[in-house]
This record gives sequence, C-alpha cells and structure tokens, in this order.
Amino acid sequence: MSAASLWTGIAVYLLVALAVAWLARSDITNRRLASMEDFFLGARRMGGFVSALSYSATTYSAFMLVGLAGLTYAGGVGALGFEIVYFAGVSLVAVFGPRFWAVGKAFGYITPSEMLGHRYDSRAVAVAAALASCLFLIPYAAVQLAGVGYLLSGMSDGAISFTTGTVLATALALLFALIAGVRSVMWTDSLQALFMIVTATLVALLVVSRLGGFGVLFDRLGQVEGNVLTMPGPGFFSFVAFLGLSAPWFFFSLSNPQVSQRLFMPTSMRAMRQMLIGFLVFGFVYTLVSVLWGFSALVAFPGLEKADLATPTLLGSIYVPPLLAIVVMVGILAAAVSTIDSIMLTLSSMISRDVYAQAAARSSEQQQVRVGKWMLPVIALLAFVFAQLQLNLIAVLSVAASTGLAVTVPAIIGAFFWHRGTAAGTLLSIVGGGLFVLVLYTGGFEPLGLPAGVWVLPVSTALFVAGSLVSPAPAGLAQQFIERSRKAAR
Amino acid sequence: MSPKTSITLVWILVGLCYIVPYLLLGSVNAWYGSFLFFCLVGLAVIALNIHATRRFDRDDRK
Repeated sequence: MSAASLWTGIAVYLLVALAVAWLARSDITNRRLASMEDFFLGARRMGGFVSALSYSATTYSAFMLVGLAGLTYAGGVGALGFEIVYFAGVSLVAVFGPRFWAVGKAFGYITPSEMLGHRYDSRAVAVAAALASCLFLIPYAAVQLAGVGYLLSGMSDGAISFTTGTVLATALALLFALIAGVRSVMWTDSLQALFMIVTATLVALLVVSRLGGFGVLFDRLGQVEGNVLTMPGPGFFSFVAFLGLSAPWFFFSLSNPQVSQRLFMPTSMRAMRQMLIGFLVFGFVYTLVSVLWGFSALVAFPGLEKADLATPTLLGSIYVPPLLAIVVMVGILAAAVSTIDSIMLTLSSMISRDVYAQAAARSSEQQQVRVGKWMLPVIALLAFVFAQLQLNLIAVLSVAASTGLAVTVPAIIGAFFWHRGTAAGTLLSIVGGGLFVLVLYTGGFEPLGLPAGVWVLPVSTALFVAGSLVSPAPAGLAQQFIERSRKAAR
Repeated sequence: MSPKTSITLVWILVGLCYIVPYLLLGSVNAWYGSFLFFCLVGLAVIALNIHATRRFDRDDRK
C-alpha cells in the first residue's frame, strides 16, 4: 500500500472529524464562563445514543483490532474468553451506574477521585487517586499510540515511520479534546465508532469469505498446531495466565476513570441504560470481529515474527481490497485517537480538580478549566515519550496499566457499600497496592508463581480493610453518601 | 426475575468462563467448543443486562 494513498485517507478523515468536532461546540462548553461541569462533563446532559457510541469508542481502541487480533493470533480462543470476561464486567455499570450518577449530581463531583476524596473526607485520597490514575493511564494511552505507530509503519512497509504515526495520533487527540472538551470528544468518538464497526465487520466478512467461509476457516483452525480452539491451546492461556490477564479487566468500568467518569454524564437514567446496552451490543460485535481477524491471519499467515503484526499483515494482503484497507486503517487510527483524547481529558480534569484546586483552595471554576486545558498538552507529551519506547505485545502492556488501576476498586466499592471504610484504608490500598504492582512488574516477580493480575485485588482489598479497621470512619458523610446512592438504586 | 437475580446470573456466567473451557471443553478443538461457549455467554450477558436495567426506563429523574 503506498504512503500517498494512506495520507489521502488520513486527510479525508481529518477534515470530516474536525468538522464534527467543530459542530460539537456549544453555548455550554465554549462560553467564556464555562465551568468544569460544562467543559469536562458536557453539563451532565449527554444523550444515550452518543454516550453509548462514545463509551464504546473510548473502551475499544487500537487495542482491539491490533492487540486483541494479535492476542488471538498468539493464544487462540482464550483471547475471546479474556475479552468476554471483560465485557461481562461492564455489567457493573448496571449496579454502580445509578449510584455514581446520583451522588455526582447531589454533591457536584467532576471526577471519580473527587468523589472518593469527599466520601472519605480526605484531600489526600483525592490527590492519591488522581496521581495513581496518571501513573497508570499515561502508559495505557501510550499503548494506543504505539498501536497506531505499528499499524501505519506495518501497512506502508515503513514509508510512514512509527514516530510519524504516533505524532499524528497525539496531535489529533489533543485537538479533539481542546475544541469543545468532552462534547467534541464524544461526538468525534461517535462518528469514529460507527465508521469503525461497519468497516471492520465488512473486512472480517470479506476475508472469511475469501478464505472459503466460516466452515473452512474453522476446519483449518482445527488443523493449526497447538489446538487454538481450546484452552489453554498453544500455551499462552494457561489457567493462571488467563486469570491474571482477565481479573483486573473485569473491573475496568470502575477502575478506569476515563470510563467511570462517563457515569456522571448521562442526562437521565434512561440515557444511562441506552449507554450500557448500546455499548454491550457494540462490544459483542466488535469483539467477534477482532477475534475473527486474528483467526483469519493465523490461517492465512502462520509464522509471523510478532503477533501484533497480524492485523497490519492482513490489511496489506490480497484478501482485503486496497481501498477498504485504507478506510479500515484510518478507522483504527481514529479508534486509537478516540481512546487517547478521552484519557487526556479525564486526567487533565483530575489534575485540575483534585491536585490544583486542592492546593489553590480559592481557585474559581474558570481557573480550573484553564489549568485543565493547559494540562492536556503536558499529558499528550508524556504519552508520546512513553510510546517511543516501542514495547512489544500491546495487549500485555495495556493489561499492566489495568492491573495498576485495579488498586482503586476496593475503595470505590467500599464507598457505596461499607460504612466503615476510611481515608487511611483507601490511601493504604492505593499507595501500597500501587507500589506492590510496580515492584512486581518492574522486578518481574511472580510470588507463588502467580502474576500481578491475580494478586492486585486481594492485596489492595486486604490493605483497604485493615487500614479502615484501625482508623475512625467519617460516619456522617458515609451515612449521607450511602443513603443517597441507595435511593438511586431502588 | 428481579434485577438482582439477573446480575447475579452474570457473575455466575463469568465464573463459568474460568471453569467450562478448561474442564469440559479442553479437548473440543472446533467451533462448537469454547468459541461457541463464549459467544453464548456474551449474548446471555446482553439479555441479562437488558432485563436488569428495565427499571431505568421507568425512572424519570433528570
């Protein structure tokens, strides 16, 4: 595929997406006196349809069509199981969505870390949760950037370099986040999600049909060495590895602030439901399509040097018409951008609200919005630098970030269900749990032969409970918060 | 069936994802093995969530 045709595709996408982002500007997000709620939460007035598509685009990114296809290529059907466990975990929105929504409105929360700080009556909790999110989410955003880099260089045979791809994605994410805050992000997300699901499904159906149909594909998969249609299959998904990968992802909808912040935004409970169900339908189709891409690559191109090359190789092959390949490639670029801009926006809102506003107690809403906007390029630059490290196997690195973020899960669940939860317990679980994960990953340790993903929840839960039991709980606040959230769940 | 039961069933299905493919389908190297199992779990999760959140539609809070 020539670099010129790739650039033409990118230019067309750029024009359309910028037009959509510009049209998303509104009197709410772009007025001079726009508040944090206006800019970062769309004034809590986001509709169900846009919320569903944007939630999908934010969650499913370059990871799916590059990383999950690669994981399927390397590990077989276990990759589908891993993704289905994650997908089922989003059902937590049915339990926690109404609760987040109600307390968000009642107490005016902008970020999930602000919610924890208020609930546990501690500024330190808000700061720790915000910084932990930055620590783990910036690498996660970098993973998406690396996905774009791999894809563009792979498809253009190196004519577009890895660095050019990552610069492009970083710049686009920054632009979409700055134009109208969460509104431009959500509208461009929606466009990208629709575009992506249609084209990716078309490619899957076309490739499978050119390989001889579903029957032939699965017959040939049955003959591939390593029993790829079983678990543990080729060996990648031993039971322990499967548990370690999937357990932290199960809690993704709570642990990752770029998606849990979305629970503050729907305009009504009806919109919340549309967001959840719309996401599940989208996610199911997208998951199957990504897995079929990986399986098709396995049958058509066995023996690739790196599993992450499965998607670029497939798109650059004779099985996909060049025009469609360009369209899908642009779609994957869009998918990565739609995840990165949401992460950037959420992290900048956290730094502004939970770090800056805590330090500058008298700062106005407008000053906080300004600081949030300034943080966007800073976060983008950090993600870009991390992406330049070109670490291998995108999915595994991405899961490392998810493992780190899982340390906030006990405190989030405790906030809604356990009166005895305290700031000390929360700090212990976030800081202690976070350090524990970092030590395991950086040192390559697996205590008792179990990976960090298996340890993170028991360890952070134990720290949360132990720290809470030896410190006084904010009884009045806890009562008020839990009562409010209970009413919402009835 | 109450919304609580629907969500409990989702958690049970998640538990089965760790058991069935290893213990019951470990030797079925075909589309009707773990692949079909995970697809059916995915569809069941959607149906159970539709049921569990029905009350959201009746909720007119803004």
